[in-house]
Amino acid sequence: MKIVAAKKILKANDQLAAENRARFDAAGVLACNLVGSPGCGKTTLLEAVFPHIRPHCAPGVIEGDIAGSLDAQRIERLGVPVVQINTDGACHLDAAMVGAAAAGLDLNAIDLLVIENVGNLVCTAGFDLGEHVRVLVLSVAEGHDKPLKYPAIFQGSHALVVSKMDLVPHTDFSIEEVRAAMRRLAPEARVFELSARTGQGIEPFAQWLLEKRQAHGAA
Amino acid sequence: MHELSIAAAILEQLEDAVRQSGYSGRVTRVELVIGVLSGVCADSLRFALGLLTDGTALAQTEFCIRQPQAECVCAQCGQRTPTGDVLLACPHCGSPQIAIQGGNDLVLESIELEDTP
Repeated sequence: MKIVAAKKILKANDQLAAENRARFDAAGVLACNLVGSPGCGKTTLLEAVFPHIRPHCAPGVIEGDIAGSLDAQRIERLGVPVVQINTDGACHLDAAMVGAAAAGLDLNAIDLLVIENVGNLVCTAGFDLGEHVRVLVLSVAEGHDKPLKYPAIFQGSHALVVSKMDLVPHTDFSIEEVRAAMRRLAPEARVFELSARTGQGIEPFAQWLLEKRQAHGAA
Repeated sequence: MHELSIAAAILEQLEDAVRQSGYSGRVTRVELVIGVLSGVCADSLRFALGLLTDGTALAQTEFCIRQPQAECVCAQCGQRTPTGDVLLACPHCGSPQIAIQGGNDLVLESIELEDTP
């Protein structure tokens, strides 16, 4: 007896993700899954971007970390609503964790929900959280070969933020290599070059987020 | 290390599918499709499945993993070349105007059960 299942292995997660997305849609929230390696500057990026977008839209954050609440404390200091998820060792967030965390936020008071994933370029790729856009952060110090070494996470992203661009003079990093790889892996994705430390390039990325939020709200 | 949660999701789906089928025989073989660019390591997945099924009714089940390749699609010459890597240029004409498609499936394809007596 053979059963032909032909089912996506992560169907249960995908279903929960669809429920999350419907909840975000109902509340007019644009959800953004923010991924990248540990230390690439995901939280620092949020600290730099929020002042640019807050005059126009209200952000909220779900922080995913293996342990502790250091990142949530940084977001809290900005006066932005934040919920911390501790995965207790798990290397990625899943849709069930995000659904539970979202219940701790007043979605009607939020326009843009950033879900900062656990720092990881591998495991986060397969799990839909119910986001509308996925933004990947790659810091200059990680090297320009990462898109070709971790293709899955680059393939599914809507935007790539190349962070710590102020470090370029001290490295052999080639932004052209990154752009060339992105043209193959995710030709539709926008690539932003910025430094949260100097503020260079933050504005265009903030503008892109606002445009995405506006297009979503209008839909 | 997310292979452990992938393995858990496979076993959950497997149990659902068997329950829905109405058959109750032992599961002898399961076919999985794990694309080469899916970010899931087949060896780690086998190891995780072994850990999770040890001492259960699925301990003797054979998990067969098929790993379909991605495709390099060239906008210049139109050739579609199967690949396990993210290529930089079309292997046929050398053009950099290529897109890498597919290779990221994660599918529970089929389940074989011992026919119930």
